[in-house]
Amino acid sequence: MIDALLALVPVWGPWAVGLVTFLSCLALPVPASLVMLSAGGFAAVGDLSPLAVVAAAFLGAALGDHAGYALGRLGGPPFMTRLRGRPRRAALVDRAVAVLHARGGIAVFLSRWMFSPLGPWVNLAGGATGFPWRRFVAPQLAGEMVWVALYVGLGWAFAGNLQAASDLAGSALGFLAAGAMTIGLGLWLRALLRQGRQRRRGERA
Amino acid sequence: MTALRRLWRHHRTALVAFALAAGLTLFFAIRFTVFTIYWADPAHRDRAPEGWMTPGYVARSWDIPRDALQTALGLPPPQGHPPTLRQIARDRGQDLPDFLDALTRTLEDLKDRQ
Repeated sequence: MIDALLALVPVWGPWAVGLVTFLSCLALPVPASLVMLSAGGFAAVGDLSPLAVVAAAFLGAALGDHAGYALGRLGGPPFMTRLRGRPRRAALVDRAVAVLHARGGIAVFLSRWMFSPLGPWVNLAGGATGFPWRRFVAPQLAGEMVWVALYVGLGWAFAGNLQAASDLAGSALGFLAAGAMTIGLGLWLRALLRQGRQRRRGERA
Repeated sequence: MTALRRLWRHHRTALVAFALAAGLTLFFAIRFTVFTIYWADPAHRDRAPEGWMTPGYVARSWDIPRDALQTALGLPPPQGHPPTLRQIARDRGQDLPDFLDALTRTLEDLKDRQ
């Protein structure tokens, strides 16, 4: 199945790449990272134009994000209820909404590449809960640029070895995401300790 | 009461989440290191050809000049989009596994000659 999709990359070229990034931004289960890594590799050996690959991946992602945001906006609150239908998905969606409204732009930016499984849900939830478009668009475009540059770039650097590119990209991004989470939780624990200390001091006084 | 014990008593969920995240970070750091060492070995870099690859891609993987591979396979220079190995096998009326086996032998020959 994945092989069949990869075989479309040299044949359809940028179209295949753009289509896959578009679909992945709508939470459809397509291997966007593998396709971008392979396209980067094909570009490095001269089978595809690197500019066309990058442009297609970026356009696909930008259009996909906006389609998700527009769908959310059209659906509104009833759509949110349906979106939370399944327990596992409800957890992801709740997480996305909470982070989005608390952090805004930075949440949009990081959910494009560092926490990319959250991306499609941030789009839908952002549209449905009235997150303003003008706060959405700049971090969205910047984040997708990082996402595309990262994967096409790694595919280029590891041309001829998709397995290595995929192993290293997966580990590096996993490390960044888990590390960011660890730092965030660590700061939270520190704040909790500090609060407790202040409360005890207040009780003593 | 130490800070750790206080957190464990009053904020157990947060502490467990922190420990899990730290564990996950360590896991990915180790995974990254292992892969870096594995892929740094040139013997691991020559990837077995697969149907979705193109001649150019295989040539890069095996560190062989593309032209040398094209000539060895008797392929014309590509026109339009490059053919995948599966398409080349089909055009020649060969089964893909047979074609890939023959290609692997060709690649090994070319590599030895370098």
